[in-house]
Amino acid sequence: MNSRLLLASLITWLAGCDRPGVPHGAQPVAHDSLAWTQSAFNTNCRGCHSQGAEGAALPLMNANYWAVATDAVVIEAIAHGQGRSMPAYLDDEGGPFTPAQIVSLVQGMRSLWGAKGSATGGEGGAISPRVIAGDAGAGAAVFSQACAGCHGPQGSAGSVIDPMYLRLISDQGLWSATIYGRSDLGMPSWSQTMPNRPTGLTAQEVADVVSFISSHRGIAQKASDGP
Amino acid sequence: MSDDVKKSCGCGDCGCGTAAGRLPQSAPRRGFMVKLGAGLLGVGGLLTAIPIVGYIVGPATKRFSNVWVELGSVALFPAGQTRFATFLNPIRQPTDGDSAKTACWVRCIDTAKYQVFAINCAHLGCPVRWFAQSKLFMCPCHGGVYYQDGSRAAGPPPRGLFEYKWKVEGGKLLIDAGRLPGLEESV
Amino acid sequence: MSFLKASLAWIEERTGAMAFIAPLLFHHVPRNAKWWYVFGSATLMFFTIQIVTGVCLATVYAPSAAQAWESLNYIDNEVPMGWMLRALHGWSSNAMVVMMAIHMLQVFLHASYKYPRELNWITGVFLLLTVLALAFTGQVMRWDQDAYWGLGIGAAIADRIPVFGDQVRAMLLGGPIIGGETLNRFYALHVFVLPGAAIALVGLHMVLIIKNGISEMPKPGAVVVPSTYRKEFEERMHTDGVPFMPDAAQRDMVFCGVCLIGLFALAAISGPIGPGGMPDPTLINTNPRPDYPFMWLFGAVSLLPPASETAIMLIAPAIGVLLLLAIPFFSNSGERAPSKRPAMVLLAVVTVMAIAALTWEGTTSPWSPVMDGWSSLPTPAKFTRGRTPLEMQGAVVFQYAQCRNCHALDGQGGRRGPELDAVATRLSYDQLVRQVQQGGGNMPAYGKNLDSAQTAAVVAFLATLHPSNEPDSMIPGAQLPIPTGSAAAH
Repeated sequence: MNSRLLLASLITWLAGCDRPGVPHGAQPVAHDSLAWTQSAFNTNCRGCHSQGAEGAALPLMNANYWAVATDAVVIEAIAHGQGRSMPAYLDDEGGPFTPAQIVSLVQGMRSLWGAKGSATGGEGGAISPRVIAGDAGAGAAVFSQACAGCHGPQGSAGSVIDPMYLRLISDQGLWSATIYGRSDLGMPSWSQTMPNRPTGLTAQEVADVVSFISSHRGIAQKASDGP
Repeated sequence: MSDDVKKSCGCGDCGCGTAAGRLPQSAPRRGFMVKLGAGLLGVGGLLTAIPIVGYIVGPATKRFSNVWVELGSVALFPAGQTRFATFLNPIRQPTDGDSAKTACWVRCIDTAKYQVFAINCAHLGCPVRWFAQSKLFMCPCHGGVYYQDGSRAAGPPPRGLFEYKWKVEGGKLLIDAGRLPGLEESV
Repeated sequence: MSFLKASLAWIEERTGAMAFIAPLLFHHVPRNAKWWYVFGSATLMFFTIQIVTGVCLATVYAPSAAQAWESLNYIDNEVPMGWMLRALHGWSSNAMVVMMAIHMLQVFLHASYKYPRELNWITGVFLLLTVLALAFTGQVMRWDQDAYWGLGIGAAIADRIPVFGDQVRAMLLGGPIIGGETLNRFYALHVFVLPGAAIALVGLHMVLIIKNGISEMPKPGAVVVPSTYRKEFEERMHTDGVPFMPDAAQRDMVFCGVCLIGLFALAAISGPIGPGGMPDPTLINTNPRPDYPFMWLFGAVSLLPPASETAIMLIAPAIGVLLLLAIPFFSNSGERAPSKRPAMVLLAVVTVMAIAALTWEGTTSPWSPVMDGWSSLPTPAKFTRGRTPLEMQGAVVFQYAQCRNCHALDGQGGRRGPELDAVATRLSYDQLVRQVQQGGGNMPAYGKNLDSAQTAAVVAFLATLHPSNEPDSMIPGAQLPIPTGSAAAH
């Protein structure tokens, strides 16, 4: 009787489903699920855009970023890339994602890491070199007051008017760097306190300072920015 | 059973293996039958072997010619870029399933100037991947690396990537494909 | 009872079965043949498991390239106990290869292949080849990406055969591509030809064991003299031997029982092996790896010098097999004790260690780039703090240009090239520039692939990679701008 019971329980165990050996049928992950977003991000984005000080480019696993960035700006950056530092991820441009996947990815990242209620991103995300024209002369003054302490030619954080650096970063990249900052590395965002600017910069000041920095590139931006 | 038959049992001591044994047939006649039997079996065996061996080695003797296959509109392959392309192998069987699908890398050097590389690493045939940022092909198996023109950059491959012949017709890019790329197609 | 006895007698009178089996069961074996001799039996047991589970799997498996993969998933997910049958078949296959290797090693160390057991050894070598062929063809049956590209590796090796390479490859694949006929060819081998050969060889192996007896435990000084060995051995068995059943068989049974339960547990816990990704050759985001019995070969082919690679790949296996076959002819008499055969023991130890080391190398594949390292492994925080914008941009270029696929930072990344955590202590600025632009030491030249700004940035970043308590090897004032001439004109 006992052995029969044992056999019965063994068979029940074998036929059951919650044991390590049993394969769980192949479940294709829909590209609009957060699990897909996380895995697509881990494979394709995390190398540069991680969290905190990890990763060399803007951290995306970060509510501050999503509070400012709009979906449209992020979608465009992912689809077409950024000069010579970020590849285009759109399939038509040789990348791995369809347009629909890029949209899902951005929406997924926003719901994973964005603050609740920041459905579309803030005002700063919408401003870009295409919207506001900057004035390099005015930017020079802003730069010397607010930025040069750290980023001037002798600044402790290293020069941002180094032509080699500028050849690798597009104007949009300079806008992003100025607006989002790197709080993890000690650089304030555009709306935070900086030298001589207790409430940060205005949108126009961002545009001006980007124009000023950009004027040090030395060669036309298009030439080094690639397709 | 008679004694005679019972003794023809192959036991070795009944005399059935020697000509001296009492047998229903005379010795010369039996010798002839053995030879005839061996001969007939031999001829029959050879005849039967011809289709069997032919069937097994058939794939080695049959010549398969490549066919021009369309990869798609030239617009899919912008100048200065290397793009992934797939096609259904023209040499295929109904049972092939997905394995008849084939991939290749198309490099458009300039308008109407192409290089089409086989997906297979020249080392041991694993699928190479293109990295547009470093302009390199890398192989996941043993680390073969190639430059954008297909020439060997690093690792164990003995040569550059295999290339398909290509032509442009009516705005479409075609390649001469079919057989699994190998040394016979060396470019 | 008497009816049973009468029935048995009735059968015995007509078949002679007991008269045939009794000598097999009760033949005398050496008294000292203790636990050393159980590995052959365990190998045979795993082979039996393979036959039984294999026949079961064949009742559902669809041997067609269009359906094989789906049918395996069907067995795993839908067929009652299907997953367990596949798990048993897969793990028993691995166990059989391991057990066979141990058996062979024991026979080699004890020199049991000496007179009169040369043919026992030789049939064993052919069994080894047959079982390895079964393992390879079995991997093909899985018809996933590993199977497909594994066949591609086989095809590429065949293609390298001089003159007939193309024909041999076509024979192997059953056509000009890896496709439906390839799977069916390997299916015919896996379920008809090779099991048939294995059964025949096992039979021959057993007949030889009965005919020649099991060798005694080797004793230093107890030399094998072919002219007198057989007579003396038979006398010793007669006077001092014990019947196989139960004296030796009891150990076989205990060991096999433990192995079987171990196999069951392994299969139940680890589950079926594969199938991996679907066998669509246009899905190239794959890392093809062979099954464990072939991992050492996979490792070996990446470590061979390219110049002699083809010759070694084609000739070395043949030489290896010939050497194995030749062993009993080189030494078929004399000492059997390992202590009197130090060179042979050393050979065995070196071979085992080489196979283990190559298996490890094959498993870790340090020569393979981490294909998504550049986009999935973040720059460690300690390398981003306190960097200038240019250096930070260099860290981005380091990821962007796939440097990370071959070079690790903080232990993460490819291991094809050196880890770069402290590269600035080894190379000066100029040397870094030269290494990036011209490559060398199995690194591609990035000169044409990066523009001058990218090179300047990545070298600026690399120059920061040194422990804070150790100075870098930068020469003061040597940080001249990268020449912008040719490199900028990409």
